Amino acid sequence: MMTCQQFRANLQPATTDPGLLEHLRHCDACLDYAMGVDPDLFFRSIGGEELVPPGGIDAFAGDVMSQVRVRGAETSLAPHRSVSVWQRLAIAATVATAITSAALVYRLEHSTAAPQPVAQTLLSVPNVPAPRPRSAALATKSFVETYSSHNATIVEVPNDGSDTKVVMIFDDKLPADL
Amino acid sequence: MAAEVLRMIPTKEPVEPDDRQLVEQIRQGDGAAFETLVRRKTSKVYGLCYRVVGNAEDAKDISQLVFLKLWENLEKYDPQFAFDTWLYRIVTNVAIDFIRNKRSRDNAINSNLRLVKTSVDPEQTVTVQRKEVESVFNIVSNVLTAKQKAIFVMSEMEDLRSSEIARILGCRESTIRNHLFNARRLMQQQLRIRFPEYARLWEESQ
Repeated sequence: MMTCQQFRANLQPATTDPGLLEHLRHCDACLDYAMGVDPDLFFRSIGGEELVPPGGIDAFAGDVMSQVRVRGAETSLAPHRSVSVWQRLAIAATVATAITSAALVYRLEHSTAAPQPVAQTLLSVPNVPAPRPRSAALATKSFVETYSSHNATIVEVPNDGSDTKVVMIFDDKLPADL
Repeated sequence: MAAEVLRMIPTKEPVEPDDRQLVEQIRQGDGAAFETLVRRKTSKVYGLCYRVVGNAEDAKDISQLVFLKLWENLEKYDPQFAFDTWLYRIVTNVAIDFIRNKRSRDNAINSNLRLVKTSVDPEQTVTVQRKEVESVFNIVSNVLTAKQKAIFVMSEMEDLRSSEIARILGCRESTIRNHLFNARRLMQQQLRIRFPEYARLWEESQ
């Protein structure tokens, strides 16, 4: 290691000279001087040292190796789950086909299950009394007092003795908001 | 003549395999080669982790995690590149992640810490003690981002060149120089605020 005199004579700001840095990192007496030359050398003084983890290198290496063995055992015990690209594509295609088929079947069923005018008008309701609003939510909705149509199927819903008559109207021309 | 004869006799000392050879041996299933690699690189890995996270126990945990990641990803190492560059990349990534997570957990706890030494009268003449510099660094460097801190440590304490750090972090050298410039500026600002007795040492000389 160079002497303090050599260090002070050769020190320049932003030095990267290994010899100067080595001296800086071992000589407290020259640290104050170095800071006067270049403030960045303040933190450079704490580098360069070989650090050892707590417990020493042997214990550290032993810990790492035991963890590696545990991981290795876990990996060998775990089921082999790697799936090739083709297998993934096949799975994706199967799932997509199943979803599409289910959607098509659902749509077909709902289009055929539309109310057919099997039974003609069971009950004519020339003057259906306006239903009483049961709640604020219902009151905001529009209602019909009379309804007449040639194609409609109107079914009276059995009530529980109250004077309100509830009917169900099946008509293709019925506005959607009713 | 005798000396020449002696020089021609092959030495029986075993030649240590270099890093790339060790990696090749590990890939072929040699567990002992991995242990050799761990022992060889522990000081380097732990040193960098310790400087970046500033705590011995955390640095030890991170170092172990680094070696586990190394073992798990050894197949990805390309021997065309220096092994240490690849190793440092793993270390910095793990350490940066750790700092980010830790800061989000206990944000600003350290920012309120202050060395008892700072109560010293700023006009008083002080002599810098090396052990104090480390504590000062741990406090002052809290203003840096995790990446800035890692770059600062690699440059100022591990003495790596900007080009090497750029290779490790996979960015341009100008980016590294920019980070270093900002890191030094921020650290000096903090030093003036928190440790005026040290800052005075160089301000007097300027």
